Amino acid sequence: MTTLTDSPSGTRPALGGDVDAPRPLRQRTVDDTASALGSAAAGLALGWLIYTRLTPVTGWFAFVLIAYFCGMLTYAAVTMLGSSTVVVKDRLASALIGTAAFTVMFALALIVGYTLWQGHRALGHLNFFTDDLSKAGPLDPLTKGGVLHAIAGTLFMITLAVILTVPLGIGCAVYLTEVGGRGSRLVRTVVESMTALPSIVAGLFILVTVILFLGLPRSGLAASLAISVMMLPIIARASEVVLRVVPQGLREASLALGSSQWQTVWRVVLPTARPGLTTAVILGTARGLGETSPVLLTAGYTTYLNLDPSQGPMVSLPLLTFSLSRSPEQVDIMRSFGAASVLLVLVLALFAVARAVVARTKGGRQ
Amino acid sequence: MHDLTEVIPAVDLEGPGPQDADTPRPLRSTSSTGDLVFRGLVRSAGAVVLAVTGGIGLFLGIKAIPVFRDLGLSFFTTSDWNPDTGHIGIEAVLVGTLELATVAIVFAFPLALGLALYISEYAPPGVKGVMISLVDLMAAIPSVVYGLWGVFFLMPRELYVSHWLAQNASWIPVFEVRTNPNAPNWEQGTYTSSLFIAGLVVSLMVLPMACSVMREVFSLCPPGEKEAALALGATRWGMIRSVLLPFGKGGIIGGTMLGLGRALGETIAALMILSIAFEIKIRILELGGTTTSVLIASRFGDATSFQLSALLAAGLVLFLITLVVNTLASIVVGRSRSGASSGI
Amino acid sequence: MTRKKLRALAAAVGCLLLILVPLGTPTATADGPYQLIEGTGSTWSQNALNQWIADVSGNGIQVAYGGGGSSKGRTDFGNNTVDFAVTEIPYQGRDPRTGQLDSANGRQFAYMPVVAGGTSFMYHLEIGGHLYTGLRLSGETVSKIFTGKITDWSDPEITADNNGFKLPATRIIPVVRSDGSGTTAQFTAWMNTQYPSLWRPFCSCSGLTSYYPIKNGMVAKDGSVGVAGHIAASYGNGTIGYVEYSYALNDNYPVAKVLNRAGYYVQPTAFNVAVALTQAKINQDPTSQNYLTEILTGVYNYGDPRTYPLSSYSYMIVPTGQNDPRMNDSKANTLGDFAYYFLCDGQREAPALGYSPLPYNLVKAGFEQIARVPGASSPGHNPSTCNNPTFDPNNPNSNRLAQIAPQPAACDKVGAGPCGIAVPPSGGGGGGGGGGSGGGGGGAGGSAGGGGSGSGSAGGSGNAGSAGGGGSAGSGSTGGGSTGGGSTGGGTLPIGGSGTLPGGSGLPGTGSGLPGTGSGLPGGSTGGGTGSSGQLGTGAVQYYGTPTTLSAYRADSNEGTLRKVVILELLGFILVPPLLFKMWRTRSSERP
Repeated sequence: MTTLTDSPSGTRPALGGDVDAPRPLRQRTVDDTASALGSAAAGLALGWLIYTRLTPVTGWFAFVLIAYFCGMLTYAAVTMLGSSTVVVKDRLASALIGTAAFTVMFALALIVGYTLWQGHRALGHLNFFTDDLSKAGPLDPLTKGGVLHAIAGTLFMITLAVILTVPLGIGCAVYLTEVGGRGSRLVRTVVESMTALPSIVAGLFILVTVILFLGLPRSGLAASLAISVMMLPIIARASEVVLRVVPQGLREASLALGSSQWQTVWRVVLPTARPGLTTAVILGTARGLGETSPVLLTAGYTTYLNLDPSQGPMVSLPLLTFSLSRSPEQVDIMRSFGAASVLLVLVLALFAVARAVVARTKGGRQ
Repeated sequence: MHDLTEVIPAVDLEGPGPQDADTPRPLRSTSSTGDLVFRGLVRSAGAVVLAVTGGIGLFLGIKAIPVFRDLGLSFFTTSDWNPDTGHIGIEAVLVGTLELATVAIVFAFPLALGLALYISEYAPPGVKGVMISLVDLMAAIPSVVYGLWGVFFLMPRELYVSHWLAQNASWIPVFEVRTNPNAPNWEQGTYTSSLFIAGLVVSLMVLPMACSVMREVFSLCPPGEKEAALALGATRWGMIRSVLLPFGKGGIIGGTMLGLGRALGETIAALMILSIAFEIKIRILELGGTTTSVLIASRFGDATSFQLSALLAAGLVLFLITLVVNTLASIVVGRSRSGASSGI
Repeated sequence: MTRKKLRALAAAVGCLLLILVPLGTPTATADGPYQLIEGTGSTWSQNALNQWIADVSGNGIQVAYGGGGSSKGRTDFGNNTVDFAVTEIPYQGRDPRTGQLDSANGRQFAYMPVVAGGTSFMYHLEIGGHLYTGLRLSGETVSKIFTGKITDWSDPEITADNNGFKLPATRIIPVVRSDGSGTTAQFTAWMNTQYPSLWRPFCSCSGLTSYYPIKNGMVAKDGSVGVAGHIAASYGNGTIGYVEYSYALNDNYPVAKVLNRAGYYVQPTAFNVAVALTQAKINQDPTSQNYLTEILTGVYNYGDPRTYPLSSYSYMIVPTGQNDPRMNDSKANTLGDFAYYFLCDGQREAPALGYSPLPYNLVKAGFEQIARVPGASSPGHNPSTCNNPTFDPNNPNSNRLAQIAPQPAACDKVGAGPCGIAVPPSGGGGGGGGGGSGGGGGGAGGSAGGGGSGSGSAGGSGNAGSAGGGGSAGSGSTGGGSTGGGSTGGGTLPIGGSGTLPGGSGLPGTGSGLPGTGSGLPGGSTGGGTGSSGQLGTGAVQYYGTPTTLSAYRADSNEGTLRKVVILELLGFILVPPLLFKMWRTRSSERP
């Protein structure tokens, strides 16, 4: 019993007051903060001692690991002095969970930050955005050549893919949720299975059928077909999920008012699901935008700006990033990071749009 | 999506059932021409999607049959892929695929679980939304960016971890290397381009997917149960262990398996990092190793028509494995989710 | 909402593209209509092609070259997915054993030589943190490295190739191509001809292959860039791979000098490749499908001291059918003008890029081949006006580069040299070094004495020092070296022998190499025996001081146990008191 009252976590529910407002479940006590901070300091100090004096390992990673381990140990010991095992477990679990969250966020920051940092040297040149790579020979510096052709290629491919997949995908979702019938079960199963299709296999499929069998040249169109094949099940499935949560009552109300099924879908169901559909489409687009492997198999490679998706090879930003990254030359690697940064910014922008759409509709409703 | 659920009580027509609440009322009587056209359109959209997606599956199967017939079981028991000598098989490739995915999951699982728990239980309200967005963003980062980061940032630094593991944990067979890890000038080259590094990078790619599934399932946990646990004096960890984890077991397993499915098919990052070796190897710290999708990406260019069929067959096998994993995952997740929940 | 967004997006894209059109579309020139032509294939010659493509883009000629490997080029050409392909080896037909088909699927074509070059062995070996640049290898050693027979840089055979200069004991990591590659084909064809007893058991085949058998311990990467990129990476220490010379040159990485029949270790310079290829047997039958393709056996075994044995040509496969599925007049025109450019002016750039220009007879034959492409010939194309460094107007079948090629340095000869490197000592704590670059002439003397190759000789620095002295004595045999005696002293010896170069043979690079060995040698021409003792001492201790290191290591392991104990004590110091306290409290709460 004593252990519970000892518990620094203070599980006292805030009685009274506003019933609707969520009760704060946790309040930090001075003991909590102090022991955490103290353990962190002790961990650092002890880690430093062990790292510099007692172990032969080198590298900041090793230090972080040692210090973390020491810190956790100290934290456990300190907590043990004042509290029960239950509290020790709670605190250690909290620390571990926090560490996991921090590690992931740190890795994310590292990935985005490193790419942008490495890319900034290439991005600093205006010609990087207004030129293609055709005039840049193997030995030319960053002041020559850019990724315009890849930006244009990416936009063409993704636009074509969106034009192809969005009507089909949403149409299919409408069919599954609104019309149904005997076939719908089969369609749903197949679509769901096809979300498991690895993107490289989608590319291989288009390569074998469209390019080798039908004789279409390696081109932006072929690449966008490959991206579409990959995106279609994703968008169809995501849209179906969104449409399914539209309350049945809305449909019934609309039908009861005498509107036709077409009107119900067009005026009631789709508008209701609009934010969800938009998010589904945008996230699917972001996925397609970043795909490299289908493009690698189907788009060919060029250093020219090509504005005709049906003719001639066309590169996309991911493909260019991939191709340039394998070069042993520093200039190409810098260009590769530049292309990756542009790609990253595009994805971030799309993502921000998706968030904004969701946020605005939410805000508007309230 | 909360706005949608908020609408339900307002337009709740099902509550006061007219006469017989148990039998559903027939809603449609006659269809207008517009409706017929609409239904035709939508049906054809469904048919096209079915044709395209189902077509791929059928096509893969048809293309793979002659391969399986020609090569028979040796397709699965040959580890080399050398078109010049006619030795074509996916044994090593499949093992490599599974190894890579396993490494990825071993790292992704604890991190994803911790992150999901943090977001759903620990994060302050303001931070929570941001973190959810960030995790979604992480899922949207193109794999080529992960690969680039893995090659140029992680690989030169990770070598030391691999080296340390080889020095201190080589009694575990997977951490063994065929060189002397304790040599005074250790060979960095031996530790590059390994399945371990590729797995680390892929783990970061599949982590957000696993995490968001777990988080979603956690968010469905009835608050009453959680509060009951707390009110009975449980610590937060006690509450998580006794309420949240049992409740979200399906989500945890399912999310992990979905991540596994994605890890199995990952191409570009693995292609950038791995050095291709058609060899069954359990020593994941050592250079070399390959996966099915890497095989396809590196061999599609110069493949003759039979080799293309063989690659398609390899793709089919990969697809089937992924399909099984994903299906199991969705069954597991579906069990733990309540009916039609949101989720994209 | 979605629609609006999309519409806006589409509009934005459209506007962007409209703005960009004038920037991107090149203006047509007077040479007639051009249309983009597309090709894939060899990455061996890709650097040259990329440079030429960049050159001609100003004239409105657009060529998209995707690389991907010779096998991919040949396959793509047969699949009608490209307008031309580049390959090192001709179509192989049907393999009699496996039935694998390698053909153009009936598409009509002709081979046209593109450029010459040397398949080089780019490597990355650090000594004391510095890139080592003086590696020499015989063909047999190369074959043994790439067939897994030699796995360590300190192998006696490598040491012997380097005239007793012992490289650090680092594992050799061969980097090979993972895709179907003409470079692999050229390399394996050479091994198959020259060292069948090594190659055939290794690949269990009897001929060349485009797919290198990847065995344990090798790195396999896609494309020449993949191979070069892995070697040049920060973690590439110990690697060696085969790529065209240009990849190493562009990246400032060294390539191994390869031993030729005449007993010289040579680099794949434009000169040496040109000399070697005078012995290539070119198919001279214009009616043959393989017209102009090469038989290289003569190249491998040519006795000229300037020969780089792994030299070869690269070929473009051009479509010659009247009804070719992909070609039209403007494409043919583009191909013709592009070919005219690279056969003529483009060849001048070849040496700077790491290739070797084509001789006159092949340029002329190339023109004949391109003329077979319907619509590609142009009256303005005349090979005799080409400004090509190989042309000798008096003797069209010769190669001027081959005539003016400089002789290899004497220090590149077997048993001499290695150029620019003072052979470092190998005794325990250090020791006298051998003669300077020019100095180590005497074969036996050089390797035994100069190399100080009695490695790990009891760590006795004095012994090694005197061995160094012996080496310098040996160096006198070439007459070039003035010797400096090795002095003795505890581990930090000055370089024993100092040699001056034999007159006139000095390559620019001689003597300046290898700062990293610690053996110094600034100022090649004066003979490098002036390296400061301190440098040598550290270098030697770090890399050749096996006994010292061993003893240090033993001490370390003892210390390691101690350290672990201390760490445990420290942690126990933290953990035990709370545990005791806890136990005490539990007991005290139980007592009442």
